[in-house]
Amino acid sequence: MRDPGAVLFRSAERVVTARTFLHAAHRLAADLPAAASIVNLCRDRCHFALAFAASVLRGQTNLLASDRSARRLRALADEFDDLVSISDDPAAPSPLPHHLMSPAWDAPAGDAANPDIEGGRIVAIVFTSGSTGTAVAHPKRWGALAARSLAAGAHFGWAAAHPASLVGTVPPQHMYGFETTVLLPLHAAVSSWCGTAFYPADIRRALGSVPAPRLLVTTPLQIRAMLQTDLVLPPLASIVSATAPLDAEMAAAAERRWDTEVLEIFGATEMGSIAGRRTIAGEAWITYPGVKVSRVDDHTLVAAPFLAPTRLNDVIDVLSGERFRLLGRRTDLIKLGGRRASLSGLNHILTGIDGVADGVFVAPDDHVERPTARMMAFVVAPTCSPDAILAALRERIDPAFLPRRIIAVTALPRDEVGKLPYQALAALRARLVDP
Amino acid sequence: MDNQFKDTPQRPFEQEVARLMVEVLYLEVDATEIQPEAPLFNEGLGLDSIDALELALEISRHYGVDLKSDDERNGNIFASLRSLAGHIEACRTP
Repeated sequence: MRDPGAVLFRSAERVVTARTFLHAAHRLAADLPAAASIVNLCRDRCHFALAFAASVLRGQTNLLASDRSARRLRALADEFDDLVSISDDPAAPSPLPHHLMSPAWDAPAGDAANPDIEGGRIVAIVFTSGSTGTAVAHPKRWGALAARSLAAGAHFGWAAAHPASLVGTVPPQHMYGFETTVLLPLHAAVSSWCGTAFYPADIRRALGSVPAPRLLVTTPLQIRAMLQTDLVLPPLASIVSATAPLDAEMAAAAERRWDTEVLEIFGATEMGSIAGRRTIAGEAWITYPGVKVSRVDDHTLVAAPFLAPTRLNDVIDVLSGERFRLLGRRTDLIKLGGRRASLSGLNHILTGIDGVADGVFVAPDDHVERPTARMMAFVVAPTCSPDAILAALRERIDPAFLPRRIIAVTALPRDEVGKLPYQALAALRARLVDP
Repeated sequence: MDNQFKDTPQRPFEQEVARLMVEVLYLEVDATEIQPEAPLFNEGLGLDSIDALELALEISRHYGVDLKSDDERNGNIFASLRSLAGHIEACRTP
């Protein structure tokens, strides 16, 4: 836990110290409705963190929902008994029993009780989309989250003597943003910026509002966008990137442009972040203290504090006790715009739509190089229009994977065992998509 | 597209912005088909935040207008082609 005077969060309006945060968390905890679980819909990062902390103090579990649609929230309520939602925005609608929070930042004198949270306690649940299209829940234990934050701090050298100011462009309800912009300030010598930082103009202003040393926590998509402008940034100690592989040339360009070092974090929702590297230093990832990786046939096993050995769907080459490189990804998984989905899961959802007799999602060949690339889909649906299918998909999948184009066909070129051979699909595309 | 927006014709600058959108976002519609008052995000054209970033970059590069998240007008700027074109025209550097 950090010193009472350490700064945890910064915004244009205020600076929140550990002492203030703890007081506010205890106050909010007393106000929270009784419930087993909460869905945190707060827009402001600091409010998000506060709601998380308060619910942990109340012994509740936080569900991290990147999909905030009414449909998803109702599905969560079906799966999790005794669920309420919490938000800092009076205009935000919720189909669940809802608590509107108003943080009390005036800290009385003296230090609030520093909570002793049992490492094995499940404090959060994050979701991934599984291969059958339904969401898979991943419980997060307090000990695992704390260990990962401390390990990241140690790995990247963020020491209490020179606390860093972190500006994150990533939302707090995704695992990456949750780990870095919400949890890191609770354990490591880092303060997190609470304002939005999405467009290059926002990023410049946010970085200009915080003291050095500055860290920008972002994604390849944002780095690429920033490089395309003539953005001038204040002195930047590091840029941290994750969610998709960062092209080494782009990393080098960013290092030159802003006289900084570009670091990457490797992780997965199932286990949080487990390794890091400086992109231009080479392919090898260096595992965080306490993390062990081992290759098992076509996948990887990861062990870490408070994490039972967990399967990672990447094939690695172990170089030494602490170093590995990535060899390949299971082809069922696709990432667009930093979001991850299972292709078979998407297909399952598509063919589950009323009126869709058969269908398949196709990722563009250049989707890795072109982060703004979109899916397309072939469907066999004589009675259902592409617009209607799109509307149905809109309710069921992450918007990043919505097909930009839906092409109706009379049949998909499946073989005798019902599989869709790659070549047959490629031929179909050649005929209908790029004639 | 939704019928209720069908009869509003595109103004010249809206045509230009529509063409820019189609090109930058690889949209499958014809630029002339984008109804000026139909929603751009979520429904209508169905754009999302990834598109918003691409579009913001091109708008900055082409018209010298920098979009910011905190701009309260943002929700309205991206509400439709008409509001987007209007904002660019109001803010552009000659």
